[in-house]
Amino acid sequence: MSLNSKRSSSNRSNDNNKRKKQKITANQKTLGVVWGSNSPKSPFSDVGSYMTEKNRKLHNQFNAEATSHNNPIFAGVSIFVDGFTVPSSQELRSYMLNYGGRFENYFSRHRVTHIICTNLPHSKLKNHLRAFSAGLPVVKPTWILDSVASNRLLTWAPYQLEQLSNNQQPKLSTFFLSRNSKSSEDTFTNALCQVEPVIHDSSASVGKSEDGHSSGVEKVVEPSSQISMEADDTVSENTDAIMTDEQLTSVGVKCDEEDPAGGRNDASKDERNFQSELETNYQKPSTSVSSPCSDDQNVIEFPSSVSTRPSKQCHSTLSDPNFVENYFKSSRLHFIGTWRSRYRKRFPISSTGVDNGISNINTSSVSGNSAIIHVDMDCFFVSVVIRNHPELLDKPVAVCHSNNSKGTAEVSSANYPARSYGIRAGMFVRDAKALCPHLVIFPYNFEAYEEVADQFYSILHRHCNKVQAVSCDEAFLDVTHSNVEDPELLASSIRKEIYETTGCTASAGIAGNMLIARIATRTAKPNGQYHISPERVQNHLSQLPINALPGVGHVLQEKLKKQNVQTCGQLMMISKVSLQNDYGMKTGEMLWNYSRGIDNRLVGDFQECKSIGADVNWGVRFKDMKDCENFLTKLCKEVSLRLRSCGMQGRTFSLKIKKRRKDADEPAKFMGCGDCENLSHSVTIPVGTDNVEVLQRIAKQLFGSFYIDVKEIRGIGLHVSRLENIETSKQEKFNLKSWVTSGSASMDKQKHPMSNGHDKQNMDGTSVHECRDLRGSSVQMDNNIQNNQSSADRISTPPPLCHLDVEVIRNLPTEVFSELNEIYGGKLVAYITKGKSISESSSSLQNSLLEKEAINKEEELLDVEPILQKRKLSEIEAMQHEAVEGGAVSDSGSGPSFNVKSSFEKDDLLPSSLSQVDGSVLRELPEDLKAVIVLQLPAHRRQEICSNVAVVPPSENNQVSLGVKNSENLGSNHVLNECLWAGNPPKWVEEFKISSCLILKKLSEIYYRSELTRTLSSVLHQIISEFHQLNEVHQISDDSVNIMCEVLKQYIKVKIGKDIEEIYVCFRLLKRFAAKSQFFLQVYNGVFPYLQEAVDDNYGGSLSITP
Amino acid sequence: MERRENQTPQGKIAGVLVEFLEIAITSVVFLKGIYPSGAFERRRYMNVVVQRACHPQLRYYIHATVSGLLPYIQKGMVERLAVIFFNAHNVPLEKFVFKLAMDLSYGSAVEEVDLQFSLRSFMSKLSISESLTKKLPPDCRWEITAYFRSIPEAGTSKEADLWIPTDTKQWQQPPLITPIKSMSSEPLCLQLYLEHPCLSESLL
Repeated sequence: MSLNSKRSSSNRSNDNNKRKKQKITANQKTLGVVWGSNSPKSPFSDVGSYMTEKNRKLHNQFNAEATSHNNPIFAGVSIFVDGFTVPSSQELRSYMLNYGGRFENYFSRHRVTHIICTNLPHSKLKNHLRAFSAGLPVVKPTWILDSVASNRLLTWAPYQLEQLSNNQQPKLSTFFLSRNSKSSEDTFTNALCQVEPVIHDSSASVGKSEDGHSSGVEKVVEPSSQISMEADDTVSENTDAIMTDEQLTSVGVKCDEEDPAGGRNDASKDERNFQSELETNYQKPSTSVSSPCSDDQNVIEFPSSVSTRPSKQCHSTLSDPNFVENYFKSSRLHFIGTWRSRYRKRFPISSTGVDNGISNINTSSVSGNSAIIHVDMDCFFVSVVIRNHPELLDKPVAVCHSNNSKGTAEVSSANYPARSYGIRAGMFVRDAKALCPHLVIFPYNFEAYEEVADQFYSILHRHCNKVQAVSCDEAFLDVTHSNVEDPELLASSIRKEIYETTGCTASAGIAGNMLIARIATRTAKPNGQYHISPERVQNHLSQLPINALPGVGHVLQEKLKKQNVQTCGQLMMISKVSLQNDYGMKTGEMLWNYSRGIDNRLVGDFQECKSIGADVNWGVRFKDMKDCENFLTKLCKEVSLRLRSCGMQGRTFSLKIKKRRKDADEPAKFMGCGDCENLSHSVTIPVGTDNVEVLQRIAKQLFGSFYIDVKEIRGIGLHVSRLENIETSKQEKFNLKSWVTSGSASMDKQKHPMSNGHDKQNMDGTSVHECRDLRGSSVQMDNNIQNNQSSADRISTPPPLCHLDVEVIRNLPTEVFSELNEIYGGKLVAYITKGKSISESSSSLQNSLLEKEAINKEEELLDVEPILQKRKLSEIEAMQHEAVEGGAVSDSGSGPSFNVKSSFEKDDLLPSSLSQVDGSVLRELPEDLKAVIVLQLPAHRRQEICSNVAVVPPSENNQVSLGVKNSENLGSNHVLNECLWAGNPPKWVEEFKISSCLILKKLSEIYYRSELTRTLSSVLHQIISEFHQLNEVHQISDDSVNIMCEVLKQYIKVKIGKDIEEIYVCFRLLKRFAAKSQFFLQVYNGVFPYLQEAVDDNYGGSLSITP
Repeated sequence: MERRENQTPQGKIAGVLVEFLEIAITSVVFLKGIYPSGAFERRRYMNVVVQRACHPQLRYYIHATVSGLLPYIQKGMVERLAVIFFNAHNVPLEKFVFKLAMDLSYGSAVEEVDLQFSLRSFMSKLSISESLTKKLPPDCRWEITAYFRSIPEAGTSKEADLWIPTDTKQWQQPPLITPIKSMSSEPLCLQLYLEHPCLSESLL
């Protein structure tokens, strides 16, 4: 029995195929007999009966555990988990338990309905194919997860194991993908989020996470959907009309923060009115002014401005000096783009009102009872133009720049009668005319478009407070919470009103989300409305061609076609994972969602615009550089205008150039760009700008980097990205501007003496100082850019006295000098006199000390008490202080870092006593400064610091090294072991000097001689030459060995992290010495273990020291 | 308005460092003679003679690897960068380790020239440190391995996904270290040392 069970358990965990084989093949029986005879107590005659019994038991266990679930999704499903899966087989089993399915521990063709596995090795795969030829589906575990998540049994087909469907070995890429198993988790959590609200009451957190998930999708979808919005009127965007390629995103929409005032949403009409009127005041007089919500009648004022259309003759940059302005004036896409920012100004509340008061918006849209209406005007550009020509209503009409029937102007929009002739947007006029000779062609009428668009939106906003504008003629309405009984009724009344007001027809699609609403509008067009209820979504989608989905363009469509996917129904068959494998995480997810009609976007979600710019790709021909520069200047002006109209400033500027390909012919389209190479350069500046001059400078600079023949240029675009809202950047900008101006002012002041300067050397001197000063201040700017009120003041002050070169100042003309002296409030004179004789006037010295904040070398340790009073020190800093006090002399590690901070605020404090001066720093200082500091110190300490700096009698020195005496570590020398390397010269040098040991004395001596290097290795190096003398010495005291060891240990400690080379050199020398000297041998042996330990700690190895 | 000024000192240093590492690694590969010396050409960098790989793939490998590290060096995530020479069984024989330490809080400007001056000493030291290295058996291979202080999360950036774990076997014992050159200045501290397997200890 025990043997049997062991066998079976190992089998279970092992390969199940083996077991299967055994069951099938004949020799299995003999095996069983053998086992049976081995264990006579077993009640089973053979393995077969044992297994039957075991399976029965397992089933009983399973049944006992299974809970009676109210929704047995997996009824009738019996899974067998093969191999490693994510989630584990146990988790899958629990799903089965909870959702009414069955779980088989052992495969049986009779009981198992689905085989679950994530991946199969090739051998198993072949085996499976043979063994499971009965047609059992081999499915990935996601199927179960997704089914649980959507609370119904999904079809397994999309989840089929790819290896089986493709019948090939797993690719390397699949391994890489499975590694970031985030994807599967993601789907899981995402799906769970969708389910959650159904079960519980929707909690805010769920909504939030849902939001987070969906936001990813939205980002992908938004830009592409924008383009497809266009597609209603114009099929091919890229070859559109005269004006090509002008990006919609080029004119931005900034997304307002949600309004903190919750009441805004249900604000009274009056208030809104007031708001909008306020807004309209800002607008230019040329734009129409209508009060959006007040009365039913719209007051529309129209300026009697002459319509500015470009004269027909001025077609290219060659002939038209105002080409750029005219170009954009007559650009339809430009109109659409700029319309948006205009719209945002007109209806500012609408966007902010979205989030207010409707906290459960997310859940509602998920739970499926939301109602979205998509309203789209029918062939907007045509119908607006012909609304006053009722006789043309059923005649073919198109809108186009040129009426020349032989022209290569492109039809931008055609009405439905024209479309029935096969006329499409993007067609050349001559082709359109060929198809339909009596086609009536109208030019654009931008004023009319603006007017109708404004009317259109006024109506929409009156009916619904959640409107998302997509384009000038297209919008989404969220009527979920508008207390509307029947969205269909609302839609028809809106359409009716639109028709009555504007004379143009609109179509509407109604559905549960934006995606389906838009798809419904397609069906509704022209002049109709269509409602897709949630039940009918599946049906509607299954036959829908994939290119009807927003975000599916030509490229994606081609790719999908290769996979034999042409309708959403076919797309639905593909699992999310394989979609994501093939098309990337986001696109894959989007396809998966959209093919199922899932769209988590919310009405009112505005996309933050990423870049603003302008492209001109038509009519660009330059004769020479001057033309081109002129053009660039205009383009910059246009871009700057656009930036300003969006209230944005940008930091990254990219210039795109279309360059004619070498072998390209003159384009078919008159003045078009033809076959071009696209070149682009970009530059990023530190501060955002919308300034025309800056733009022009940058554009020229960028253009210069192309090295291009201007005659080859067919198109130029300038784009600005890394946009910053002008409001948020205002604060910063103010500071920087003030900085720049004040900086330049002070520069002027300094330049003045410079220009008067007599000898060249002096000029150099000052300029260097200036540079340093400026750099310093710019760093300061970076550090405290927020609270820069003070720094602006500080910067405008002249450089501190200590920065001035005495020589230069002394040689200045007297009038300049006196002027400067005034600036420094008379201190300059004192400073100069000080320069002449150092120890003369203590007051001026005081001054110079006060000003010395910028000397970074200077380290003064401040008294603890005043600092603690003035500002809150972090505890660490405080502790550092205490340590410093205890140790008398600051250890060089913590000193500087502290001082950098403190020197900002408290540069006017001298160390109150010697104990707070770092000797090493003091020593580094120039002689005159050192003398000054010593002079400034309290008298009773002066002697001591002198002794510390210069050579001192040993008795004095011991007093200096005051502090805690650590008696344990001391031998006969009462030295503090903590800081043998502290100070300058390090403590040990002093100690060794007075040592009785000759070698130590020598070391100290050499140390003094080697002033420059001050590394132990250099000292040891020099001792080589005198080594023979030292070797005579035989008396070695333990003390001297100990102190030497201690010195070395501390040296290791100091250097190990940053300079292992130095240690290495030292110990190689030491090893060499050790071979000859007993003393060094002892030292070497004493330190070596410590060294290796330290190396191991820091580098994970041991130092190999070859002598 | 130039891009350089926009950089943090760390970014600037990382830029110089990456350039230096590329050349230093090429020098190491040249030093070990793993390719015929004709595969390299003499060039001048920071006023010292250095080697430059002629073969585009070799050059690209070194360049791409090191410049791929740039963002991580900037963030101070890279602790060590090792050029590992290993035999046919993937057992490393010799590692040239660049240990990096950068003070991320260092705020003031750094002169590129100063940094290059310090880095130059590495090049000169490296060119004469052949005696420290061990002769490689024939049929050796090599790779560049970066040791991170913390593993960059996959998915945070595209580059992170490109990294693969190394197949090179680890030494059982802690290695023997032979320093070649150390440089410590504010805010960069760079050390180059050799690592050899421990078994050679008996040979000493």
